[in-house]
Amino acid sequence: MSAVPLLHIHSLSKIFGQIPVVDRVELTVTQGEIVMIVGPSGAGKSTLLRCVNRIEIPSEGEVLLEGVNMAGEQRNGKFAPDRPVVTARKRRRIGMVFQRFNLFAHLTALDNVAIGPRRVLGMKPSEARALAAEQLARVKLSDHMTKRPTQLSGGQQQRVAIARAMAMKPVLMLFDEPTSALDPELVGEVLEVIRALAEEGMTMLVVTHEMQFCREVGTRVLFMDSGRMLEDAPPRQFFGNPQHARAKEFLRRVHAIPN
Amino acid sequence: MGSFDWGSIWYAVPYMLQGAVVTLEISLCAMAVATVIGLVMGLISVSDLTALKVVIRAYVYFVRGTPALVQIFLVYFALPKIGFELTAFWSGVVALAFNSAGFISEIIRAGLQSIDAGQTEAALSIGMTNRQSIVFILLPQSLRRITPPLTNEIITLVKTSSLLSVISITELTRSAQVIVAERFVPFELYAALAVYYLVIISVLSWCSEYLEKRLA
Repeated sequence: MSAVPLLHIHSLSKIFGQIPVVDRVELTVTQGEIVMIVGPSGAGKSTLLRCVNRIEIPSEGEVLLEGVNMAGEQRNGKFAPDRPVVTARKRRRIGMVFQRFNLFAHLTALDNVAIGPRRVLGMKPSEARALAAEQLARVKLSDHMTKRPTQLSGGQQQRVAIARAMAMKPVLMLFDEPTSALDPELVGEVLEVIRALAEEGMTMLVVTHEMQFCREVGTRVLFMDSGRMLEDAPPRQFFGNPQHARAKEFLRRVHAIPN
Repeated sequence: MGSFDWGSIWYAVPYMLQGAVVTLEISLCAMAVATVIGLVMGLISVSDLTALKVVIRAYVYFVRGTPALVQIFLVYFALPKIGFELTAFWSGVVALAFNSAGFISEIIRAGLQSIDAGQTEAALSIGMTNRQSIVFILLPQSLRRITPPLTNEIITLVKTSSLLSVISITELTRSAQVIVAERFVPFELYAALAVYYLVIISVLSWCSEYLEKRLA
């Protein structure tokens, strides 16, 4: 592929009040990487993810997607922030899946997936629905297309949410604790869908507490604590020989390594 | 109750029905205008149009902070001074709509803001603009929540229209007052007047309940 990395995050910080929730994070992700982000709660993992697609506006630093700055562009040597419409257009390239699914409550599963292609990409209703049906088939929900979110289980809702994001044909997927709100018996079906996407070569950042999944599917594990990126290693190395004391402690607490 | 003058109530029926028609006409016109303006202002209130938001805040501040009666006088007596000649009827419509739109915009704003922030985040995440997320995601979900307070506001509007009797519009209240002056039967006529309003507002409430069920 090209020399430009898919995602480049440079010195990214998010400061709430006086507290840096994300603190000068550096990260470069190339196409096809499956980046798992782990760490104790409050470490800034979700905020980092939300800064990537500017659902949260970073306080400092920059995010480049395929070399394009997500915040604005240089014009005549000066930095000009994007208008909201441009930000929205750039955001299409990044899919996001939320901890609490956030399906549109008034729409059926099919329309949840179709509304993006329809309203954002301007497809005809019939085309948008066909695309949505195809995406729902990929997450094995063809039998539930006409159901409303409240009629679906958590696992089904999250799979609809993944289909909704994928319908926009993103180049990068962000998963923000996609299984944390699920009953234990529903976690597997969602992880299976994410795993399938990973196997198809989808580049993704996954904030997760599922260590087993992390180890099996991730190509790279990042450990965050107190807003800092403390460790960046392949799963085997991270789980087998964590470098940082806090990473060791964290892994002990989640029983990923023996006491 | 032997002295209750039913005769005067019967006598008043044609006049009061005529007044009721005027009340309904004014209320419906004002309702339509107020709903449209209130909706637009409510949508702007949750958008990123900062300058317009300030104007709307000021408008709502004024409407909420002054009595409807004063607003009616202002529209009726002040508008002609700045070159807007309106009939009493249309002054009434403008005054009621002006008053009601302020409250309706607040109802819409509250309804939109009551929707979980995750809905907006999801809408933005698929590339919707703020405006698209308001129109396609937040508004449809808030309709059902908006209906009950909106009904209250419309009922208030119909009742406030009784104040228009002071700018010589012969709506329901004034038509009763005319008969009271003529036959001097205040108790009977005002009791009948209350019943007329109750009937009108019962019909409105019934429509609203029907609508709320349809939106469920």
